[in-house]
Amino acid sequence: MNLFGVLDINSSALTAERERAEVVASNMANAETTRTPGGGPYKKQLVVFGTEEPGRGKFALTLSRFGDIHARGVKVERVVQDQAPPLRRYEPGHPDADADGYVAYPDINPAEEMVNLMGAAQAYQLNVAAVQATKAMISETLQILT
Amino acid sequence: MNWIETPTMERVEHYLDLVTFRHELISSNLANVDTPGYRTQDIDFENEIRRAEQRLEGDPVSPHVREVRGLIERPDGNNVSLDRETLALAQVQLQYRAGVELLRNEIHTLQSAINEGK
Repeated sequence: MNLFGVLDINSSALTAERERAEVVASNMANAETTRTPGGGPYKKQLVVFGTEEPGRGKFALTLSRFGDIHARGVKVERVVQDQAPPLRRYEPGHPDADADGYVAYPDINPAEEMVNLMGAAQAYQLNVAAVQATKAMISETLQILT
Repeated sequence: MNWIETPTMERVEHYLDLVTFRHELISSNLANVDTPGYRTQDIDFENEIRRAEQRLEGDPVSPHVREVRGLIERPDGNNVSLDRETLALAQVQLQYRAGVELLRNEIHTLQSAINEGK
């Protein structure tokens, strides 16, 4: 791997963290959603991160001078649904109320989602800083002969 | 080694290779800051630079990568420390710049000799 390969690693993190932020946004937007295409209230979603296998067939790897590749990117392995039972609120007039007058709402805690969002934003910023560092290193190399 | 490559250049090349390798590991640590079970990776820079001097030309660079000990582990098994990694990133950047400056200097000396000191 060379410096261009390092850019790939950090950009994989940018993609993954953005996806995490998207999922958080979807959770917050649907905090009060009682109807979904699958029926029932919206279920909270969670992303699971995993390390990425060193990219095969990537251009940067073809130019590699290093024997083994230890550096790994990150990817969203899967998005899982939270299995917590829905919250039940007594609202007899609501069209989605059950026979007892209770409406099932998604169990979403806005504070928890905000913390998750802040974590994603921080990790994103950090990786942007790493990309800038790599970029600076590449352009310094280009200055050697001038 | 050919006539245009000075011993300094060769050493700086080893140095830059190692700095790049370390930069890769730091980037990987930063990318995996939220990956459950990921362990911080690093190399022993001083040891590796000594090993690199003995490496034959054309051999791939393959430093010993180790897991960093003594870091606080989160409940998900991840032990990446943001402070440590950002500091290391700044360090690596400056080290790289130092190496490139040395190389530039070496080439300029050579160029000045070619131009008869003009």
